[in-house]
Amino acid sequence: MSSATTTVPPRAVAPPGRLRAALRRPAARKLLLLGAVTAVLAPFAAARWGSGAWPDALTVDLAGPLGRANDWIIDNRDGHWLFLYFFGHISNAIITAVRGVYLVLLALGWAGVTAGASLLAWRLAGVRAAVTALASFAVCGLLGMWVPTMRTLALMIVAVAASVAVGALLGLAAGLSDRTFRALRPVLDTMQALPAFAYLLPVVLVFGIGVAPAVLATVVYAAPPMARLTAMGLRGTDQGVLEAVDSLGATGRQRLLTARLPLARRELLLGVNQSIMMALSMAVIASVIGADGLGDRVYQALSTVDVGSALAAGIPIVLLAIVLDRTTAGHRSVGNRSAGRNGWAQSHPRTRTRTLTTWAVTAAAVVALGRLVGANSWPDGWTVAIAGPVNEAKDWMVDHLYSGIPGIGGTADWAAHYTGWVLDPLRDGLQGLPWWGALMIVAALAWLIGTWRTTVTAVLSLAAIGVLGRWNLAMDTLSQVLAAVVVTLVLGFAVAVVAARSPRVDRLLRPVLDVFQTMPQFVYLIPVVALFGIGRAPAAAAAIVYALPAVVRIVSQGLRQADPAALESARSLGATGGQQLRQVQFPLARAELLLAVNQAVVLVLSVVIIGGLVGGGALGYEVVFGLAQGDLATGLMAGTAIACLGLMLDRVTQPTKPKEG
Amino acid sequence: MPTVDTNAESLNAHVASDRNEPETAAPVFSVRNLWKVFGPKAERVPGSDLADLSPEELREKTGCTVAVRDVSFDVRPGECFVVMGLSGSGKSTLVRCLTRLIEPTSGTIAIDGEDVRGMDKGALRDLRRHRAAMVFQHFGLLPHRTVLDNVAYGLEIQGVGKAERRAKAAEMVEKVGLAGLEARRPGQLSGGQQQRVGLARALAADPEVLLFDEPFSALDPLIRRDMQEEVVRLNRDEGRTMVFITHDLSEALRVGDRIALMRGGRVVQCGTPEEIVGSPADDYVRDFVRDVPREQVLTVRRAMRPVRSAGEAEAGAALNPATTVADAIEAVARTGAPARVVDAGRCLGIVDFKSLLSIVAGLDRIPGRVHSLKKAAA
Repeated sequence: MSSATTTVPPRAVAPPGRLRAALRRPAARKLLLLGAVTAVLAPFAAARWGSGAWPDALTVDLAGPLGRANDWIIDNRDGHWLFLYFFGHISNAIITAVRGVYLVLLALGWAGVTAGASLLAWRLAGVRAAVTALASFAVCGLLGMWVPTMRTLALMIVAVAASVAVGALLGLAAGLSDRTFRALRPVLDTMQALPAFAYLLPVVLVFGIGVAPAVLATVVYAAPPMARLTAMGLRGTDQGVLEAVDSLGATGRQRLLTARLPLARRELLLGVNQSIMMALSMAVIASVIGADGLGDRVYQALSTVDVGSALAAGIPIVLLAIVLDRTTAGHRSVGNRSAGRNGWAQSHPRTRTRTLTTWAVTAAAVVALGRLVGANSWPDGWTVAIAGPVNEAKDWMVDHLYSGIPGIGGTADWAAHYTGWVLDPLRDGLQGLPWWGALMIVAALAWLIGTWRTTVTAVLSLAAIGVLGRWNLAMDTLSQVLAAVVVTLVLGFAVAVVAARSPRVDRLLRPVLDVFQTMPQFVYLIPVVALFGIGRAPAAAAAIVYALPAVVRIVSQGLRQADPAALESARSLGATGGQQLRQVQFPLARAELLLAVNQAVVLVLSVVIIGGLVGGGALGYEVVFGLAQGDLATGLMAGTAIACLGLMLDRVTQPTKPKEG
Repeated sequence: MPTVDTNAESLNAHVASDRNEPETAAPVFSVRNLWKVFGPKAERVPGSDLADLSPEELREKTGCTVAVRDVSFDVRPGECFVVMGLSGSGKSTLVRCLTRLIEPTSGTIAIDGEDVRGMDKGALRDLRRHRAAMVFQHFGLLPHRTVLDNVAYGLEIQGVGKAERRAKAAEMVEKVGLAGLEARRPGQLSGGQQQRVGLARALAADPEVLLFDEPFSALDPLIRRDMQEEVVRLNRDEGRTMVFITHDLSEALRVGDRIALMRGGRVVQCGTPEEIVGSPADDYVRDFVRDVPREQVLTVRRAMRPVRSAGEAEAGAALNPATTVADAIEAVARTGAPARVVDAGRCLGIVDFKSLLSIVAGLDRIPGRVHSLKKAAA
């Protein structure tokens, strides 16, 4: 926005010679063209429909039809063949599967599950992961969260299995067929840019509230990364190897099984890891639509601002995330090792059989142990109730830290200032902006950064929000997103520059970033509620903390990857550190910087939306409200608006593809 | 010195008749009028007026690029047929057309008289599995498999049992001098070792023809030399038929029985190393071979002059017609007298200081120049 408003006026007053020179730049030409279009269309549009917020004449009321559709679905859910023979079966299969897995986990008992998870982690990722798993499950039990943890785990196992299967199949199709790839890629790109909340409403519309829609939403959310990475892995196969395989007379099947899939191993494993992390994130959020387990506990606790209980349920979520990530990411490093030196696949067939036997025996022993210890669930006597103490601590914080600290104020003061001095003016500004002006600004930004395709998508998405009649709410959300993105980028770039310059800072930062990046969005809400209370400011804080690690990581990686030869030559010319950064590292890392902005926008939006649960208001709250009131039409329209907003923000910040290479 | 010219011609004819005996040895590969055009509707280009356009004009007009242009040649059993050219001359495309890794646009290819372009999928797979194996510039090894399993890979694809293919692979690994490295992965080997794996993999299927696509271009010079000798040995000792692609003239001269020189998709000259170096077909080839040490490639057949007296045919050292000029110089310098070129007891001609030195000096190179020199002397 700033670039549009600051670059146009000087050009208008520039002398003719400079004007012509400026016109030769494509950016200037694009802006001029847009300016001309605006000059022609804007007065007309303003005269026809009025300025200010999105005109009522251009909205389409979907609430009625959607409400009727919802009613029809509710009425026919038990009778219509579509539900009886299709959706019903899907729903039943999911419920049965989750229940089955849950019963198995219960049958294994707490000792069995803990030991089994540790052994699995050991096998896949080594001793450290095993210890992490052991400790984490023990802590889950100690916190009195054993049963919810198992419920979440059961849901996760089913959802991950399904999303890996679906993702792998889609990825296989896209990897082998160019046409499928071209068709699928924009869909996957878009799906990954949408906030999790946007996925909830459509499944609820069809399946109602419960475990089945929760699993389905999770699968829809978690399958894209698997599909994407599978396709990338298959398509990235070294052409030379494939040619050699062909020259030996391999059939298509042999080619796939002996060359393409093994060569894509790393991407496949990464895909599984990503799917698992996405699934956990969604499985927790899906508590809003009836998934029980840890997420539900957090959700219930947050709705009564019971920070202690939320924390007791939030810690297991974090631990689960860490265990799952360490275990499956360790798999990745084992893959590297076997590609280099002594992998399992290389070992002699006899040793392999022996290893399998050992594993079978160990597994049997674990089950036996679980049964012997007796209790299916964690013993009640071994739990530590942390909710009480935590809430006391929180009350102390409310009394002592929220406000009135001499000189620096307090957290509640900060939140109030942020809301009053940043968010409110920004929101009023955006809502006061004429609707055609907003469209043009979006068009200008998208066109400058990306291509005309991204521009069209972005403008249409924004217009769709207006048509849905969610203009003001979307502007509210947008103001929260923009403010949080600016803070994220300023902090993120600063930290990244430091990390890129100092290996020690980088070393210290890395494990922290690792942990932060594995945590589901939902748990970030717990500490910010404790610190800032309820409102838009804590939502923004959670969004910033959530998006920061990704930005830091991408930017510092981009800065560090700058061609050492270019840096060396800059140094040899006597460039200072600042000059090197400005003139060499930043320009060379342009693609990464743009990617960081894009990621910041996408990630911040996803949390700002969830912020609706802690008083963030706007679109996120509409979804929650719609779900809580059973008013699906409202929720669905807000959900669509969220998707449109996500699409718009993603496209506006999407850099042109060829320039990345 | 018109005698030199006539000699060279008769000699070429002689060499040709020596090797080209169609009734006894049918060609392994027989390629006729082969075209490969990349681009939309490529099939309209060969044989039409479009083919006469310059590459730029053609690309502008049709979006097509001609990679192989009306190429014909035969590869005879047991020979090493080298296709040489600079990058972009179409040589790599040509060799891929032989087993249809790249589908030719038009022309015919026959292997042992069997039409390759008419083969269905199964027959083509069979051809690739059993009859022609390829060695690639960038090796094309499977990084997740051991050396042994890489070598056995071709056999695995053919459906050979595990024990059998491993035994065969171990034998091949031994043969290319990688014994002891069977359990390594390609990533742990040097470039030269990786290419030996590639060679072993190709040999494991015991193919009729070995196709090499610039196999040693990525290797450093010393290793390259070793590998070239390995190839020459395979060719001489086992009588393997080979098609060898390279951009390196010295490599072509070292391993090739016959060389086809390509430029812009066309074969500009096809002949023995001696023919290429001794009688370049045009200025391009002449330019190409200018820096070749002629005495190491040309033979006394080319250097000899007719016998002038009966005495000459009786005395002096006897040299085989295939002796290089460099070796003949050594023999003549040692004895201080002209040497005879003897083939099967018959004296074909005489080489003396003058005739040998004129080869080194390149006086036989440009007929016009020889004539003018001769006229000037007269």
